[in-house]
Amino acid sequence: LRRCLISMDIHPVEETFQEIKKTIQAKDTFQNVTILSTSETLHSIKPSDVCCMTKNLLAFYVDRVFKDHQELNPQILRKISSIANSFLYMHKALQRCQAQRQCHCREAATNATRIIHDNYDQLEVRSAAIKSLGELDVLLAWIDKNHQGTLVA
Amino acid sequence: DGVAVLPAPQNLSVQSTNMKHLLTWSPVIVPGEIIYYFVEYQGEYESLYMSHIWIPSSWCSPTEGPACDITDDITATVPYNLRVRATLGSQTSAWSTLQHPFNRNSTILTPPVMEVTKDGFHLVIKLEDLGPQFEFLVAYWRREPDAKEHVKVVRSRGIPVHLETMEPGAAYCVKVRTFVKAIGRHSPFSQAECVKVQGEALPL
Repeated sequence: LRRCLISMDIHPVEETFQEIKKTIQAKDTFQNVTILSTSETLHSIKPSDVCCMTKNLLAFYVDRVFKDHQELNPQILRKISSIANSFLYMHKALQRCQAQRQCHCREAATNATRIIHDNYDQLEVRSAAIKSLGELDVLLAWIDKNHQGTLVA
Repeated sequence: DGVAVLPAPQNLSVQSTNMKHLLTWSPVIVPGEIIYYFVEYQGEYESLYMSHIWIPSSWCSPTEGPACDITDDITATVPYNLRVRATLGSQTSAWSTLQHPFNRNSTILTPPVMEVTKDGFHLVIKLEDLGPQFEFLVAYWRREPDAKEHVKVVRSRGIPVHLETMEPGAAYCVKVRTFVKAIGRHSPFSQAECVKVQGEALPL
């Protein structure tokens, strides 16, 4: 079963985030709380669950985080828009791939996704959104690490 | 918003070549006056999830000319909506929106310019710098019956690359095309260019 992997070069997205990371993270008022990294949520994901977990995480950002964050600074807005549209592109690619290759969602990925949504729901929505944006480097590093090899999506 | 008395810009279109994207429109003419234009865009994400959000273009909010380099704004391979309006003092026109969303995967990829040279017995190629999104697929062969074609992927830009150590008296040919990973497309191959160890570059 060939794995659903993201063919898009993620480094431009990482570079875009690095340009706004300091500004975004400075707005995060709950520094001792995390949304993505609780109990090594992402690092416990097995290769066979990477596709589903990636799709769920991209959907989390596309459906919730980017919508819940309101940005007034045009420079920051442009960067967030660039990331959001790249995530949308990757999410659609994985959806197509899933339709062809059964990118199964097993309990492990479903549970990990629920933990992340629960973490998000613990905070007031604007705070949760800014914290999740600030943790994009965690997500992008995880995607970069887990989507090496033969690229199909 | 100021009262829309100026005519809106017309004939919006995008010309895109080698991942450089230029939005153009017909100028709004008011004799003796300078018209400024504001360009805004929204990616597919904004149009699907936040349709009220339009983002000011990086370089053209405002601009004088009836053209705008939107390359730095189009940063994902999704459809983008684009709009322009004219202003003169407090007067503003209505927005004009590009009829069909623009996706960078429609860019025209041209065969790259190359310079094939000899450095002693070394076959060397120099490729134009098209930016970080471009890779070059270089094919080269010794001009003889049943020649084997060699292929080298070059990512370095604008600096000479050694291809082969040539044998005296033999002729070698080179052709090249680009690949853009962000859109998963190749350009056509360039014309082949041949050199002979002691001769000048021989057109095919």
